[in-house]
Amino acid sequence: MIRAAMATLVGLMMLAPGVSSGQSYVVVVTGLAGDPQYADTLHRWATSFIEAARESSGVPESHILYLAEPKGRDARIRARSTKENVTRELRLLADRSEPDAEIMIVLLGHGSYRNDQSRFNLPGPDLTAEDFAELLALFPTQQMAFVNAASASGEFIPVLSGERRVIVTATKSGFERNQTLFGSFFTAAFAQGGADVDKNQHVSILEAFQYARSEVARAYEQQKRLLTEHAQLDDNGDGRGSTEPGPDAPDGALAQLVYLGDVTPVATATDPRLATLYKEKEGIERRLAVLRAEKDGMDAATYEQRLEELLLALAQTSSRIRDLERESREP
Amino acid sequence: MKIAWPLLLVGAVSHPLWAAQQDEAAAALRSGQYDQAIELFQAEVARRPAPAAVRGLVDALSEVGRYEEAESVAARHADALAPELWNALGEVQLARGKLREAEASFSKAMQDRASDSLTAKLNRAIIYHRRGAVRRANAEFDSFIDAYNAGTRLTSADLTAVATAVAYLGKVNWGLTQDALRAYDEAVAADADNLGARVRVGELFLDAYNSTDAVATFEEVLDINPRHPLALLGKARSRRFDGSDEALDLTKLSLEANPNLVPARTFLGALYLELENYGAAAREARRALDVDSNALEALSVLAASQFFSGEQVQFEETRRQVLALNPRYADLYNTLAELSARIRRYRDAVSFARQAVALDSTSWRGFALLGRNQLRLGAMTDGAKNLETAFAGDPHDVWTKNTLDLLDTLQHYPETTSPRFRFFIDGSESQLLAIYAHELAEEAYDRLSARYQYHPPIPIRVEVYSSHADFSVRTVGLVGLGALGVSFGPVVAMDSPSARDKGHFNWGSTLWHEIAHTFHLGMSDHRVPRWITEGLAVLEERRARPGWGDDVSPGFLLAYLQDRLVPLDDLNSGFTRPAYPQQVIFSYYQASLVCELIEQEHGVAAIRALLHGYAEGKTTVELFQSVLGTSPRAFGRVFDTYLKRRFAEPLAALMVEVRERSDGGVSRQAMALRAKADRNDFVAHLATGHSLFRERQYAAAVPYLERAKELFPEYAGPDSPYWYLAQIAKERGDVRRAADELSTLTAINERHYQAVMELADLRETLNDRVGTTAALANALYMYPLDMALHERLATLYGDREQWPDAVRERKAVLALRPVDQAEAAYQLALAHFNGGEIDDARRAVLRALEQAPNFEKAQELLLSIHAARRGTNP
Repeated sequence: MIRAAMATLVGLMMLAPGVSSGQSYVVVVTGLAGDPQYADTLHRWATSFIEAARESSGVPESHILYLAEPKGRDARIRARSTKENVTRELRLLADRSEPDAEIMIVLLGHGSYRNDQSRFNLPGPDLTAEDFAELLALFPTQQMAFVNAASASGEFIPVLSGERRVIVTATKSGFERNQTLFGSFFTAAFAQGGADVDKNQHVSILEAFQYARSEVARAYEQQKRLLTEHAQLDDNGDGRGSTEPGPDAPDGALAQLVYLGDVTPVATATDPRLATLYKEKEGIERRLAVLRAEKDGMDAATYEQRLEELLLALAQTSSRIRDLERESREP
Repeated sequence: MKIAWPLLLVGAVSHPLWAAQQDEAAAALRSGQYDQAIELFQAEVARRPAPAAVRGLVDALSEVGRYEEAESVAARHADALAPELWNALGEVQLARGKLREAEASFSKAMQDRASDSLTAKLNRAIIYHRRGAVRRANAEFDSFIDAYNAGTRLTSADLTAVATAVAYLGKVNWGLTQDALRAYDEAVAADADNLGARVRVGELFLDAYNSTDAVATFEEVLDINPRHPLALLGKARSRRFDGSDEALDLTKLSLEANPNLVPARTFLGALYLELENYGAAAREARRALDVDSNALEALSVLAASQFFSGEQVQFEETRRQVLALNPRYADLYNTLAELSARIRRYRDAVSFARQAVALDSTSWRGFALLGRNQLRLGAMTDGAKNLETAFAGDPHDVWTKNTLDLLDTLQHYPETTSPRFRFFIDGSESQLLAIYAHELAEEAYDRLSARYQYHPPIPIRVEVYSSHADFSVRTVGLVGLGALGVSFGPVVAMDSPSARDKGHFNWGSTLWHEIAHTFHLGMSDHRVPRWITEGLAVLEERRARPGWGDDVSPGFLLAYLQDRLVPLDDLNSGFTRPAYPQQVIFSYYQASLVCELIEQEHGVAAIRALLHGYAEGKTTVELFQSVLGTSPRAFGRVFDTYLKRRFAEPLAALMVEVRERSDGGVSRQAMALRAKADRNDFVAHLATGHSLFRERQYAAAVPYLERAKELFPEYAGPDSPYWYLAQIAKERGDVRRAADELSTLTAINERHYQAVMELADLRETLNDRVGTTAALANALYMYPLDMALHERLATLYGDREQWPDAVRERKAVLALRPVDQAEAAYQLALAHFNGGEIDDARRAVLRALEQAPNFEKAQELLLSIHAARRGTNP
């Protein structure tokens, strides 16, 4: 499910994702919908995300918890999404998850913000940001990704921000109270194509965030509505979200290394020819990273020439790697 | 100038009985019962010629334009009764343009220490101002501030005089406008019956570009006196400011109350100029000049009518006359500039505005007109500079402020160019629209220049706004314009697809339409009448692509049957002064049919001859005679026959509706009965079909819809039979039938996005790739911002190995900034590669790999490109 790389950023920027081998868990909670139609919508988003986690990303079914407002509508729903049930399930997960596990919690539904308190609306009593802070504290060593796609969710960031945590909210404050579209596109980023921007076959939290943000803006623009939700992401623990996170921005460095699903680990070669090629490839990738970092100070023609040389070398090396890997897989 | 009778004077001379009679007369005057007021005052003066009664009679006679009588009454009594009557006499003389006599009367009132000598002083200063002795006038106006600050108790009339003097100063020093308003408020507070002060407040609001408050103020006066000529005129001016066609009727009402009201007569003339009815404009100006031969505004309107009629000698004579009366009268040129711009003669507008500011360097109106019209001609730097000058002098000018704000926005629009066009398109859409707009504009230029045998100067500047409000400001300086595009000749401005709702706009036909105007304006030296250039532009749309351009509708044919279309010889008024909201749209279509008929009967050479003839200063009547051998009226009759013949069947099918007038309020049963009673009743068949469709009684709906279609096959509006029959066919699984219906609909209707997309889907189901591609390509001109549309088209073109088209669509996908840029760039590279464009393919694939270096497909393509360049296998 989610994978967090622990190595230094520059070295990992171009590498295949995922160096951690921790177990992955997904918790999806759909809250109080308000009307049956929206309940259907939330269920659709939740299940498409769950299916993507299970089928495309290899998260075992037993590691997926789905709590929803009407329990009986789908066999995959573990329990009704009451405060009591959500609290209990997260406590149980804290007890059973490994210290190096990665946990992704996704909240879909409505939120509210009153009296300086942010809430995620559930059937019965709501869960506040402070409630979730207590629950997240039960995972002191695990890598956490917490996504609140509800309205008025922005104030969750200052409360939940912390080390080893990626916090995503659909809005930038508690005052953006209109029903949000973010959840639709965030879940679609994993369920459909189009979000894997770096073409490594996996969608990182950062990629999903950027995809959702972009599609939300496009949807509002096409409907000629003013954008009333500004999603933000925090992963540096400073309690302040970024609306435009990225590898080089204050937030985004960790999120780009956190994935949904069982990512392909970095190949370890027994074949010395492959080992050499992996090393060669890694070297080219590092040189590419350096070249891109120097782009602004170079004239365009020189940059393009050097880029082409490196990309060609990378393509040739990758091609040889693929041939050898194919060869080694053949009986 | 008209002021209320000073209470002081009334109180000083009235006897209780007389006071009662005078009160009745004054009340009648105040409420607009002029005949009664005159009768009562005359009786009173005959009985005992007291100053108050004489003054009342003079005012009443003046207010209905009986100036000669008013002057005679005032002159008869001025010496004998009271010095205040000298001021009354002067005011009547001023209204008649007898400036020297009026000046003497006002001076006499001041010498004799009349109680209203402050008003007399103001009136005298106004005469100085009228003569162009601005410095002397301003010195006099300035002294009113001292009078106000002296702390002595001022009457309502005195306060009105102070306010008016300060308002004059405010024309140059805008900061004083608020002071003027405050003084008027005090005048009204001192005497609520001082309607003259209230009217001036309205005028001041209008001078400050605040028509809302102006109208409210004039209406307050009209609540008291519904016939108040100046309040009616003020409201008319405000309505003109708002772009409402009420202005003409209100002015006529004002003139009904006072047929000799020079400003109203002059304003009516100006309105006729805007309607390009120069004869009527000259007539009104002359009627004004009959009353006041020195009226500068009337002379300006006369000069304009002469200029626009090509009467150069007479124009020069009138111009000399104006400048002899007031050598600094910049408003002569401002009026000419404003009217030139209103009839699209922007070069003339610039030239006149330039003369205005040369004459008076404080003519902020002149600078604004100069700047705005320079912008219309594409002189952006000079235009902006002059607007800055105008705004510094008159920061109330909402047009100038809006335009300057727009220029701030416009400077961020990236420029793209094609051989003969410079495009400035809102940044978020520039890259996408440029792909199509360049190609379309160049095609339009080629085809139109071949047709008209004329090449407009290049480059033509095209501005495309994603905000309709911005486009509106660019066009008229204010938001709220209903148009989609405008051509100023060398500059075209229009809405972008995102400025409008999907299905309400075809940006391609709009661009074509506006470029056509550029040809017409250029060929005719901007003198082509509005109806001809609009008619031709719609005709050009229809020639550009199947389905483009306005189509016939039941509404249009009903308007014809009900005699609600504008006769050909007055067709301009259908655009400039529509009698009802749809008349503008009907006039576009009507004009296009007239032009179509001209071309059919006389060939395109006749169209060209007409346009060139306008450039030579000829009138429509002259040109119809020389080119078509007929008069507009006679050609109107030929057109009538043509219309009857061309639309014989649908016209017959709408006759029942003309008789029955359902107006949408008739039940389904009644409509069904109508349909049953008459198989040729189009409206009844269509309405019954709609109702049955809504009730999902598809089998029952089909015969009605089919019959409606037979009766009026050219109708393809959103509620046309084609759309409903297609939906029913889809419901029944008859894909081919549904596709056929939508195919016909979209071949006529240029905006039905949903229909064209459904047609694409249906054709895809039928495995008709060519048809699918055609439908999607059609949709591009309706709404090009849908990424999926371009991806579908790119795939279809790729499947058919139409690589240049595939490349264009892949570029469009990239221009829409997809999240997955690497994939989009790779697809573009692939299309280039397949089309043999190896260098382009290389650049695109590098772009893909720069973002995703391990993108396997792109790596393989790069290797293939590399091999292709080296002539080896990858």
